[in-house]
Amino acid sequence: MGVDDGEVEEDVEMPMSVRELSANGRSVDASEIEAKLDLGNIEEAESSLREGLALNFEEARALLGRLEYHRGNIEAALRVFHGVDLEAAIQRLQTLPSEKPSSRKGRSRGESFNVNSQPGANLVLEAIYLKAVSMQKLGKANDAARECKVLLDAVEKMFQNVSSEVTVDAKLRETITKAVELLPEMWKQAGNHEEAANSYRHALLNQWNLDDESCARIQKRFAVFLLYSGLEVGPLNLTTQTDGMFIPKNNAEEAILLLMILLRKWNLGKIPWDPSIMEHLTYALCMCDQTSLLAKLFEELNPGTYHRCDRWNTLALCYSGAGDDTTALNLLRKSLNKHEKPDDLVALLLAAKICSKDFLFASEGVEYARRAVANAQGENGHLRSVALCFQGICLGKQGKCASSDLERSRLQAEALKSLEKAIADDPRNPDLIYDLGIEYAEQHNMNAALSCAKEFIDATGGSIPKGWRLLALILSAQQRYREAEVVTDAALDETAKLEQGQLLRIKAKVKVAQSSHMDAIETYRILLALIQAQRKSAGSSRFCYQIEDNKSSEFEVWQGLANLYSKLSHWKDAKVCLEKARELKPYSASPLHIQGSMHEALHQTKLAMASYSNALQIDDSHAPCKVAIGALLWKSGSKSLAAARSLLSDALRLEPTNRMAWYFLAVIHKDDGRLNDAADCFQAASMLEDSEPVESFSTAS
Amino acid sequence: MSSSGGATAACGAPTTTDRVRSAAESLSQILDLPLSSKTDPAIFLLLDPAVSATVSRRLLLRSSGAGDDHLCRWLYDTFQSTVPSLQLVVIRFFPAIAASYLARALSRQPLAGFEAVLLALYAHETVARQGKPLTINLPNLANASPYHETTKSAVKNKSAAIDTADAVPETEIAVLSPVLEPHGTIRSTKRSRIVGVGFELYYKHIANIPVSSKLEFIEHCIAWVGNCGKTSLKGKKGEWRIPLPWELLQPIIRIVGHCLLGPGEDNKLKQMAADAAFLLYQRAMQDMDSRAVLATRCLVHFVAALESPKAPVSPAETVADVMASSAVEAFESLPTALADVDIIVESTSDDF
Repeated sequence: MGVDDGEVEEDVEMPMSVRELSANGRSVDASEIEAKLDLGNIEEAESSLREGLALNFEEARALLGRLEYHRGNIEAALRVFHGVDLEAAIQRLQTLPSEKPSSRKGRSRGESFNVNSQPGANLVLEAIYLKAVSMQKLGKANDAARECKVLLDAVEKMFQNVSSEVTVDAKLRETITKAVELLPEMWKQAGNHEEAANSYRHALLNQWNLDDESCARIQKRFAVFLLYSGLEVGPLNLTTQTDGMFIPKNNAEEAILLLMILLRKWNLGKIPWDPSIMEHLTYALCMCDQTSLLAKLFEELNPGTYHRCDRWNTLALCYSGAGDDTTALNLLRKSLNKHEKPDDLVALLLAAKICSKDFLFASEGVEYARRAVANAQGENGHLRSVALCFQGICLGKQGKCASSDLERSRLQAEALKSLEKAIADDPRNPDLIYDLGIEYAEQHNMNAALSCAKEFIDATGGSIPKGWRLLALILSAQQRYREAEVVTDAALDETAKLEQGQLLRIKAKVKVAQSSHMDAIETYRILLALIQAQRKSAGSSRFCYQIEDNKSSEFEVWQGLANLYSKLSHWKDAKVCLEKARELKPYSASPLHIQGSMHEALHQTKLAMASYSNALQIDDSHAPCKVAIGALLWKSGSKSLAAARSLLSDALRLEPTNRMAWYFLAVIHKDDGRLNDAADCFQAASMLEDSEPVESFSTAS
Repeated sequence: MSSSGGATAACGAPTTTDRVRSAAESLSQILDLPLSSKTDPAIFLLLDPAVSATVSRRLLLRSSGAGDDHLCRWLYDTFQSTVPSLQLVVIRFFPAIAASYLARALSRQPLAGFEAVLLALYAHETVARQGKPLTINLPNLANASPYHETTKSAVKNKSAAIDTADAVPETEIAVLSPVLEPHGTIRSTKRSRIVGVGFELYYKHIANIPVSSKLEFIEHCIAWVGNCGKTSLKGKKGEWRIPLPWELLQPIIRIVGHCLLGPGEDNKLKQMAADAAFLLYQRAMQDMDSRAVLATRCLVHFVAALESPKAPVSPAETVADVMASSAVEAFESLPTALADVDIIVESTSDDF
């Protein structure tokens, strides 16, 4: 160690001599040395540095290398660095902290290390760092990574025995930080992904005393690496962990965790805004279908991070992705306001799409779709067909609840025109054919609807379940039950067991329509077994929406069975089924409606009336109950015909295609002597009967 | 690659090396491509440009994919060999298989050969996952994690441990890929899912897949996404675009994401992936699927950030770039760089 001591003394002398030199003017010196270097006299340059600045061999070389590097002579710099055993220099440095106090005779305590040895240490460490960078620039990423690793290992050893309070000088810290950042990038470039991941983790989990920004940079790069490298680099291994600590178990978890931490850092003002953090998080969360969490993160962002309209629109996308269309639409209404960004195409399309799902928003949707059509120009021309399609659907929905026949036929014609234009614009998109088919079906043009449904199945190779369902329903509406059954059976063949629910329901209803009741009951039995199986598989995955889905399909089965048994006058069985249905949805009107019809069949008029009115109290827009009460009133005599008529008209307002409402209205008109009106209503009823599917077309989608 | 398993193989049974060689030999027969005894069969299969080009071309022929197609049979047998390096070869050709299958399944041609390969891949993944979904636990920042800032959270943890011990919020679970049911045949409504799982398998091995295969994937991807591009080619009626439900689109987006932002320096791949990302965004807009719009829009933004280096901090910017620019700065201010040493020294020597 004696030799080392000598070296240390030399180091300590260095500042004095340097200061003297600097008084003589450094710039002259530098150019002198440069001149020597240019002549290729590395030794001479080095020795003049050593003499002039009283540096040791390694330090002089380090300085020379740096000079070359900064002059852009990468290869020359590498030559200089190659001639020196930097590792040996490091090993000497590593002994510094422990040696120091004794050699400084207790004068300096821990900070003597800080004060005196750091410039020398920094020179050597920086030299290694520059060597690594030079190697990287020459395409030797692997060697660069190895150099970097040597550097960091050395630093770790150096600081092993030093208490964390020691202040490290800025220059040294900068070198260390740069090296910490460089190492994983070098491994990555060298194609050694395992080492890259390890060094990222090492950088983040060890106490490098990095500043917030460089730590954030490393975190982001690591998150990107984890998200897109496609590697599963193995989970974190931690020696110590506390209870309740979140330990990421795979790459995606780790990436999302890092990005969320980065986002929090931004929210706390620790790092500058970097939009890509949010983008990567968006990507990661969309891939696992977590737009609801994404919405929460967007909500939590500091105001001013995004323009408010962009934020609203993105939030709307998140919410609609999570199935919350109401919230999404409310947000879109704000951003599409005429004082904000009324012509944003994405927002317009999304708003039109959400509106196209509901009668209540149909006219609003038409407006959005019109604006979307008008804005789908030039670069966005390919979106015109989508806009036209939403416009068509919304117009169709609007037409269904139009107040006059004239209005209705106008809207329906426009709806068809829009959809056809959409198809002309984008003739390769089968979804448009499907939507046209639904519209035809809703307008009772079953032949046209049928050919659309067939075309859709052909175009998608039968791979989209809703196509099969639509075809079966259209055939049932044409009363071609036998064919509808063949289609459902074919569709069942093409569908995996657990996804056959809706098809089985259609099949059971087709069987009922054909009066093959035993077959229908058997189909319902299979369906119930399927629902049980679904519940089992959903139970393990704990997703509440699946459980909800499951519940409502079971409810419908019991209800269908109750209907079927009451048709067969198996009152006891019907009651059991009704009970089951009501257990699942105690506040639903339709089981009460079935109960009422059972009472009616048993000629218990008062009880029937009571059930119907109870049902209406639960849900005052339940059209079948209104029709049933209207019919009962008509049956009870001429005194309440006016009340009956108003109930039936009310039902028709809610459900313009309710065949029974038209029928009883016709009967009442006839009793009142208004034969013309009666004839019209009879005609409507009969037309509807000829084109009534076993269940509503909207259930197909 | 091939010799590792050979040493452990039981006596008498064919070693991995043998299997790779015989697979290479039978493929060279099927393709009518010579396999010289000097070539490493593993490299011949995975990396030989002539082989991969011929196989891909053959797979895309109109006549391919039938039950008696020799190439499909070879792919099936090779995958069933359970030798990882051979399975990788089959996975490497998956983009071409999927492209040919998806395009022609619409017209209901008999494609038993392709379906056998697809089902083999699907069954392999089902067994590997035991049919379970791929899930991730969503982190909740209220819980400590290894990446939380240690000093503060450690202190806080100790003090708050008593009162919040039972109030630690549960983490939520998200699904990356749902349950896998076993399938013995390809039902048409399961087609997208089964091909999608094939892509999930492709993504799982993507780090080992050669760039040429990724390029093929991107080419096909651009074709699937359809005519909604910058050069809006109006398609003819009757030439339907391929349906891309989420179960198929999601793994496709992930692969494009990898090609765009993953490690690797292949510029052609990145450029093509950028085009694919743009087209995927267009398609997502056409289908107006919120998730797909959000995810693909991110990819498009990344492309923009990559193309304009003046963006704040581009996602794939490497340290090297930062270094390069700082080196230039340092070079320009050379005298001060050297003078740094003096400054430090001067300030410290005042202490004496």
